[in-house]
Amino acid sequence: MELTDAELVARILLDDDHHAFAELVRRHQSTVRGLLRQLTRTDVSLADDLAQETFLRAYKNIRSFRGEARFSTWLYRIAYNCFREDARRRKELVGIDEAQWQAEHDPQTANPALRHDLMQALQLLPLHERAAVLLCCQNGLSHEEAARVLEIPLGTVKTNVLRGREKLKRALAAWQSN
Amino acid sequence: MDRIEEDWLDARLRDETPYLDDAGFTAAVVERLPRKSASTTFRALVLLLVTLLGSAIAYVVSGGGRFIVDAIARVGSLPLFSVYLIALCCGILVTTAAGAVAVSKARQQS
Repeated sequence: MELTDAELVARILLDDDHHAFAELVRRHQSTVRGLLRQLTRTDVSLADDLAQETFLRAYKNIRSFRGEARFSTWLYRIAYNCFREDARRRKELVGIDEAQWQAEHDPQTANPALRHDLMQALQLLPLHERAAVLLCCQNGLSHEEAARVLEIPLGTVKTNVLRGREKLKRALAAWQSN
Repeated sequence: MDRIEEDWLDARLRDETPYLDDAGFTAAVVERLPRKSASTTFRALVLLLVTLLGSAIAYVVSGGGRFIVDAIARVGSLPLFSVYLIALCCGILVTTAAGAVAVSKARQQS
């Protein structure tokens, strides 16, 4: 029988069980790496470095996981903090690169394939909207959980999700009518 | 209408996100984990050996554990009320110690 995330965490706490932690990494690596790829605008190498840092921090701070939220939510929070710290170092959050990036990428020139268009549309969203949409719509977090992960008020999360969705819907309008 | 569109968007966001193959990622993370400290096992071993040694010395010094028999005989000769009192005190002591450990562990977890 497959152990739950909470049971695996208990094994790590009790016996510093590396196998249990490896199982947790295997279970969540795809979503964490996927989220970070979207946040870093598909910089695969940087995203994977941040994902490794995320899991290492999770291991070192496993005692602070209280089990009140899902393990994945707790991981997303660490991942987002890793990304934010790295972005701060790279000055991405200043917004200069954000505006420049959007100016350089015209959605009209996107590849007709749906996945490509969707990813392209996501990349065009500002960081705060992109993060909220990815957490709530792609990874299935509630607004409350996303607010905890992003450390912003609940109302701001709702607004960011709403605005992000509107922009995505506009960008993908052609696909919806098909 | 809006609800249908939102569902479509959610579904696309989920479905169009490919599953990322592990491709050695987990192994790379596990490789970077801090090594299990051997000192924990070593400490347990030392503690066990010291306990065994102490027990052996006590056994030899006490003339083959004679003091245990003496102690049982002494307790047996005590009035029944005293035996109950000793048992009660031992119970309170053990319960207090266990409670303190439980509270300490709970604080560590939170």
